[in-house]
Amino acid sequence: MNDDMEQFERRLCRQSLREIPKAWRAEILTAARETQAAHYASRMAHRSFLSTFKNQLSTFFWPHPQAWAGLAPVETVKSAPPSPEAMAELKKQQRMFAELVGASVAPDADRRKIFLPRPRSERTEILTA
Amino acid sequence: MKMPAGLDIARLYDAHAQPLFAFLLNFTRAEADTRDLLQEIFVKLAREPQLLAGVREERAFLIRLAHNAAIDLMRRRGTREKTRENFAAEIISPFAPTSDPDEKVFREELAIALGELPEEQRAVVHLKLWSELTFEEIAAALDISPNTAASRYRYGLDKLRARLRPLYEEMKKAE
Repeated sequence: MNDDMEQFERRLCRQSLREIPKAWRAEILTAARETQAAHYASRMAHRSFLSTFKNQLSTFFWPHPQAWAGLAPVETVKSAPPSPEAMAELKKQQRMFAELVGASVAPDADRRKIFLPRPRSERTEILTA
Repeated sequence: MKMPAGLDIARLYDAHAQPLFAFLLNFTRAEADTRDLLQEIFVKLAREPQLLAGVREERAFLIRLAHNAAIDLMRRRGTREKTRENFAAEIISPFAPTSDPDEKVFREELAIALGELPEEQRAVVHLKLWSELTFEEIAAALDISPNTAASRYRYGLDKLRARLRPLYEEMKKAE
């Protein structure tokens, strides 16, 4: 680069630029802070909504946590399939009961399923069988 | 009003608003547009503070935001040619007023000459001469290669010198 060009560049560099108007600072920062606050409030409101929704769901589905906790083992037992030993014991007790009342116990496949809903007249028949 | 911990907008403004103002004023040649763009940038940063996460060179990043915002404004306003015509017609100078009559004339002529440069050259010339950025920093800010930044600067400077030569030679003789 030749000297003339360097001198020209230096002259250009010396030209001072206009200053930003002082009043702009407050105006622009106020606008930015309002946006910042609105953004923050919106985020908080969203979080608050989710939190409230979650609490309401808990209240709705979980009115008595201790009671639900107490029922949990019962549910587990109810839903668990009976063991072969328990089934054998149950059949043994059914046979003993039949001997005591003087009736024979029908095989499982032939027995009627007495808990199915049906007309009252049929239920009487089952009881007298 | 209590602000969440995080982005310090006031610090960013104090550190960068002046050079951004000068850059945008040289670009738009309109004070109202410059103010709108400056506010747009700081509001954007307030709304999306994560934009600055991981940014090493704040100045270069903010100049990039300013440059993009100014180009968007020009596109919204119409064609670039039309805006260039407006630049030529405008008398708003990016330079500070001076009491020295010779300097005053030189600044006025320089402002006009800058306004006649293509926007890509004007941006590079401004950032090199008055923001004192290196070609690498200018390249990062304007998303161009350092070689492109250097050649745009050279073309722009040549045009300015050709345009201002008579006045410049006269002032040199007077000194």
